[in-house]
Order: sequence, then C-alpha cells, then structure tokens
Amino acid sequence: MKMEDMSLSGLDNTKLEALAQDIYSDLVEDACLGLCFEVHRAVKQGYFFLDDTDQESMKDFEIVDQPGVDIFGQVYNQWKNKECVCPNCNRSIAASRFAPHLEKCLGMGRNSSRIANRRIASSNNMNNKSESDQEDNDDVNDNDWSYGSEKKAKKRKSDKNPNSPRRSKSVKHKNGELSNSVNADPYKYNYNTGINYETLGPDELRSLLTTQCGVISEHTKKMCTRSQRCPQHTDEQRRAVRVFLLGPSASSLPDADTMVESDCYDASDGQVLMSRLQWDGSSDISPSDSASSKASTNNSDSKKPKKKKKTSLGLNSTGGGGGGSGSGGGSSSQSSLVGLSNRKKKPKLPVPPAPSIYDNLN
Amino acid sequence: MSPAGCSHVNAYKVDNWRQNLRVIYQCFVWSGSAEARRRKVLQNDVRWTALAKSCICHMCGAHLNRLHSCLSCVFFGCFTKKHIHEHAKNKRHNLAIDLLYGGIYCFVCQDYIYDKEMEQIAKEEQRKAWKLQGVGEKYSTWEPTKRELELLRHNPKRRKITTNCTIGLRGLINLGNTCFMNCIVQALTHTPLLRDFFLSDRHKCEMQSNSCLVCEMSQLFQEFYSGHRWPHIPFRLLHLVWTHARHLAGYEQQDAHEFLIAALDVLHRHCKGDTTRDDNGKKANNPNHCSCIIDQIFTGGLQSDVTCQVCHGVSTTIDPFWDISLDLPGSSTPFWPLSPGGDGSTVNGESHLSGATTLTDCLRRFTRPEHLGSSAKIKCGGCHSYQESTKQLTMKKLPIVACFHLKRFEHSAKLRRKITTYVSFPLELDMTPFIASSKESRMNGQYQQTVEVLNNDNKYSLFAVVNHQGTLESGHYTSFIRQHKDQWFKCDDAIITKASIKDVLDSEGYLLFYHKQFLEYE
Repeated sequence: MKMEDMSLSGLDNTKLEALAQDIYSDLVEDACLGLCFEVHRAVKQGYFFLDDTDQESMKDFEIVDQPGVDIFGQVYNQWKNKECVCPNCNRSIAASRFAPHLEKCLGMGRNSSRIANRRIASSNNMNNKSESDQEDNDDVNDNDWSYGSEKKAKKRKSDKNPNSPRRSKSVKHKNGELSNSVNADPYKYNYNTGINYETLGPDELRSLLTTQCGVISEHTKKMCTRSQRCPQHTDEQRRAVRVFLLGPSASSLPDADTMVESDCYDASDGQVLMSRLQWDGSSDISPSDSASSKASTNNSDSKKPKKKKKTSLGLNSTGGGGGGSGSGGGSSSQSSLVGLSNRKKKPKLPVPPAPSIYDNLN
Repeated sequence: MSPAGCSHVNAYKVDNWRQNLRVIYQCFVWSGSAEARRRKVLQNDVRWTALAKSCICHMCGAHLNRLHSCLSCVFFGCFTKKHIHEHAKNKRHNLAIDLLYGGIYCFVCQDYIYDKEMEQIAKEEQRKAWKLQGVGEKYSTWEPTKRELELLRHNPKRRKITTNCTIGLRGLINLGNTCFMNCIVQALTHTPLLRDFFLSDRHKCEMQSNSCLVCEMSQLFQEFYSGHRWPHIPFRLLHLVWTHARHLAGYEQQDAHEFLIAALDVLHRHCKGDTTRDDNGKKANNPNHCSCIIDQIFTGGLQSDVTCQVCHGVSTTIDPFWDISLDLPGSSTPFWPLSPGGDGSTVNGESHLSGATTLTDCLRRFTRPEHLGSSAKIKCGGCHSYQESTKQLTMKKLPIVACFHLKRFEHSAKLRRKITTYVSFPLELDMTPFIASSKESRMNGQYQQTVEVLNNDNKYSLFAVVNHQGTLESGHYTSFIRQHKDQWFKCDDAIITKASIKDVLDSEGYLLFYHKQFLEYE
C-alpha cells in the first residue's frame, strides 16, 4: 500500500489492530535481518569461530566452591616453601621472609642500626671467626646503608632523617616476629658489596677515601666501604690504594699529619694513648691486623709480638666500632674517635705493652 | 581487496564513486533525520531530486520487502520480489545496496560482499548520522585483522572468561606483613577499566631503567590472567614500591590506604609515556590535566566553597582527589548532628536513631556545610575583612572509580584506637545528592531527595572491599572482590574462596571501591 494514501481517521479498531500487527511484524523481521547480516559478515570475514573454545581444557578452570579448598581446588597453607630471588642481592630467599630480608638488604628500616649496635657490642669480645663473620655481614649492611652501594649515598642519608621519627613510633609489628627476623637470616658467607672505583671521578674518590678504608679487594675488584680503622685491611694497603687511585701526592691518610706527634712521647697515660693512636694510623706496623679479622692480606702480622696484637686489637676495635656505628656513618672525625676510645678504653688497656710498640718503631 | 570482497566491485570503483556512494549512504541508508534526507536530496543534486522523491520500488511501488538501491543508477527495487535482480540483469549493474543495513550485494557472486574501502565509507557516514541524531558514539566490537585471524586459527586453544572461570583470580603470597599490599593489588587488578587498559597493552614505557611500576603492573595482570593456580609472589612489586616510595619502606605492618595512595602516585608518575598528545604531536605537559590512565580512572575533583556569613560571597576552590576519607561515629569528634545548630536526635528530618550508620550518612556528613567558628575567620574578598564563614565540600567531578576510606584508625592527641563501628554500605550507590550542583538545595543543611531518577551518570556499583581485622598495632587485611557481575570472592593472601554478597555487605569495611555503572565517551 502506498503511504501517501493512508489516513488513520477513517479506520475502525480491527483495521488499526491489523496495521499495528503489520508494523510489529515488520520491525521483528528487520531485527532478525540485522542479526542475519551480523552472522553472515562474521562468517565471511572469518571471525565467527573465535568464540569457540576447547571445552575439555575449560573444565580445568571451573571455580570450586567447597570447604577446605580454595577456588582452584587446592588445600590451604601448602605454600610455605615458595622462594624468590632478591632483585638487590640476587640470592634466593623464602617468599614469606622476603620483606624483612629486603629491608636489611636495601639498608632501610628500623633494624639496620640495631644490627650495627649489636656488632659493636660483640666486636669488643675479640672472638672467633664465626662470630666475626656475622659481624662483617651486619657491617656490610651498615655500610650499604651508610655509603649506598648504588651511589645514592647522599640521597639515602637525607631520606634517613624523615624515617627516624618513624622509628620512635609505637611498635606496629608483632614483637615476636621482629626478634626472629634478626636471628633467622641465613647469612653464611661474607658478602661484600663495596664500591666500583672505576666509575668514580677523582674528586669523588678523594672524598670517599677520606672517610673509608678503600682497599680494593682482589676478588671483587671493589673498594672496601668500611671505616679507616677497618680490621680487614692494613694501613699499608690503604696507603697503597690511595697512591694507586689518586697519585703519589695523595698518599697521605689524614693520620699522616700526626706522624710528627709520635716524636713527642709523653709519659702521661692519656697522651701516650692519644699519640699512639694517632701514630698507629700511619705506621708500617698497623694495629689493624688484629686476630679478630678473618684472612686478610696483611703480612706485617708476622713482625709483631703477640701481646702487641692484643692491645692494638683493643684499640682498633673501638676505632672500628666507632667508625661503623651511628647515623653519621664513617665520616666522624678521627679526633673524636680517638677521644671516645680514650675515655672508654683507657682503663682496659695495659700500659706496659705500650713501650714495646714504640720499641719497634723505626 | 579483503577476503570477503569480490572482484566485481572494480568495475564500480571508477570516477567519483566515493562521493556517489557517500550520497547514497547519507540520503537513503543512514539518514541523520528525515528532514536532513529531504534537504540533502534537494540541495545536492538535481538529478537525484527528480527521481528520488521517495524510496519506493520502481516496479511495484512497495517500500518494504528489503528495498535495494542500484549503485550505478537511480533505481530502487524490492529484493524479496526480485525486482532489483531483474534490473541488475537487464542493465548489467552488478551492485546494489540494502537500504536498511547498508550491505552491498553483488549479483554475480550472488551474495553480500564486504569491501574494505566501501565499508570504510559506510562506517564514516553512519557515525555522522548518529551524531546528527544525537546518539553520539556507539561502541563497536573488536575485529581481528588478517594477521590476527591467521594467528588465532593456528592457536585453537583459547580461554574464554565465562562466569564460572577462575581465570583472572590469583592468590598472592604474603612476603612478611604485606597483606596490606596484597589487598590493594587485588582491588586494582579487578578494576575493570584498569584491567582492560593493561590487557590491551596500552602502556608504552619510556623509562630507561627497568624500574617502571606501570610495567610491573602490566606484568601483574599477565600473571593474573595466565591461568596459573599457584599464588603469585609479588616480590618485584614490593621492591619497586619501596624504591619509589621510601616512606613506605620497612618491614612492619602498614596501612592499606596509605599504600593505595602511594601506589597510585608512583603509577601516575611513571605513566608519562601514555599521556595523550595534542595536535602538534607534543605531549600535553600540563600537570593539572594529566590524562594518564590513573588520572582518567581515579581522579575526581572536590569543590570547597567558603561562604562569608556577612556578604554571602562564595570563594570556590577545586582540588583533585583519589579517595574520600570519611569520619565515623564513635571517634572523638562528634558525628551527629550532621548540620550545625541542631540537637542530637533529629535535625531537619534526619534521624540517627534508626539502625546502623550508612555510607550515605557518612557522605552527607562529609558534604555538610560547616561553620568554621569565630577562631577560624577567613579573609573575605567581598568584605575585605576577616569574617566568620561556612565551608562546604561537594563533588565537582566524580571519578570513574570512587574509593571511600572509612577512618577507622584514630590517631588523635588523646588516644589511638581502632573504631569498629559497623557502617552499612550498599551494593549500588547514587552520588547525585553529593555533587556540586545539588549543593544549592543544601545551603541550610536541608537534605532534599533529588528528583533526577533518570540521570544515570552518578550511579556506582561496589566492586571491592578491603577489611581489617585486629587492633591498631597488629592486624590482618583481607579483601572481597567482585568478578563477573554478581560473583564475589574473598582474598586472604594466597587463599581465594567464593563469598556470598551477604558476607561482603556484613563485613566491617575499611576501603570501599565503587565503579561508575555507565561510562560515556568524551
């Protein structure tokens, strides 16, 4: 029928109904046609089959809803043995202990200074190798934090300050877990991160060498990041590395200035101690080759009588401990260290051995 | 030529065929409006005008029966009655177009064909017509390219994410008090828009080092949709977050909300490579108008109006926000009455004696006008002096994902404790009463129900809930997340179990994530 000829006014109900029915069926037909076109196009373009999936394997992924198992049908709590590799130190760590490990590994958080303090306390005991292994590991962590093995030293130090109020907040964690975490770490070998001297400029090297030992390890080819009193290396080594890196003119350790003082031998204990300490820093016979350190390349050990080692050890450990502790890192001045050790260590040190060191001076 | 096309169109593709085809589509297929059609016919071409007065079959006069138009001349014919077929045979015009859906029929192939160039024109004209009709943009499904089809054909083992499928769900190992991180990760990986962004590989990394958190996030989605059943170990994520958000670093229990904000911040900073470029190809470098995915999804605008009590001048500022922190009853600051000057029981029709506090109550309190008091006078620009004022917060721009943070941890000077008041939250939330334009009706603290029932823009659905069990010092975070419309799952670190809607709604609630129900194209 032509549309122009239609007029609704003259129609009765049945005709209207018939019209409505027609319109309705036309609409339905058009809709069906649309669907047909969609399918036709999908088949012709080739993407109709995409909805098909492999029914058998889909069954594996059905959700399980039963008590005692999770949605995959697995029993709870079977994941105790998961491990992961730390991105920082590349060691394999148990997953559930990863966070505390990472905290120490990156040298941040509350525990680093605790470890350092522990180390100072235990290093006073002149103990056996295994304990010193432990110390050195902790020491390494301190050094990571103090110096920043990623050369972010300055940044880390400034970040540390905002963190310190955090430390004084009330303990948020479970106490039991915290103490466990300190003991549970399976550090079994000496891990030295050190600094790669090749990537540093002369100015950086110079400033580094005023605050840390700097001796280049044969194994890792990296600079030792411990303090200038580091028990692992001798002063001779330290001087050698400075000559190597900065040239012959820079061979002086800060202690070399006090070489003059050694000539002024004073009878009083305090001054004996003071000058001996200062002199020790620059002598060929280094007090740093103490028995407490593990195998090092010190060959001047053989020259010294045993009792001398003891005293020097006592001296050195405080110096070393002083260097490693505190949030200021190893940049604390030599004189203050000396002063500190003077106050603390004086009663312990037997005076008689002192002249024997001087006896060997040449 | 596409595989679904045919060679017979080549005879047609001569001279000004594109324009002719466009006219056909514009006038007879996708007419923007009847008037437009009439107008176009009259204006464009006199030839067309004379003959194309109305779309009826030139042989029988019917306008139904699948009318087709010949592409080569002005002829309309029914398909069902084969009138167009006759015309094709007589005139050797091999192509005709279906006026209802715009499909091109080839009489030689005797089938509808899909030619790439012609389809391109058809699509463009359709879009134009929709715009004219006021329909706007319509969603078009993805279609694979030839290469993609090939790949798919060679790899028949496909995973379809049906409603009963575990793909998309995965447990997370607790790395040592990292349950707060696990819950936020679950919430983020189940944010539909974020999931779609990462699964369609939209992140283009421009960071030199491989410490981009967005890349790690992308990797996380791959892990979640890998189909693996054992829990994932998010150790790299932890490492990256600690590297980029130093204030969070440290092995101790932390706040999930704090982690969420820090994570969003780092993701936002690392998303620089994905910001849209302006017409010159330069990146839009305006920090106020970042268009990275994080900002598109999570950033809303909070309007703060300070009204001077003397001159009634209003000073308005709009600040971006990623979450709304809501005070709860039971804290040291009083919750009721919601509006100033009323007593505790009923104020302007609001009664708090009936039943538990709802999320809507908290939102009402958040957006109430607040007298700033005589000790906090604001310098009024109109009066040029310090005057008392009222301040009111409203939502200027609602984000696509709204995160509500119930302030359950009180750290006031007097005490530190956890507020365990139950707050009931709905599955569907309408934010219309809290948006800036509704503010005028609430200037005096009057809360009026808006009449706009048909406005769908502000309707939200709950999709993730993060809960905290325990005390301020030590506790455990778990989360409920929604997958597949009405399926909820409880995520307790490595253990994912099915949960009922009742479990979710009865839970205490600490962080509530709502997603907009209707998304409009811009």
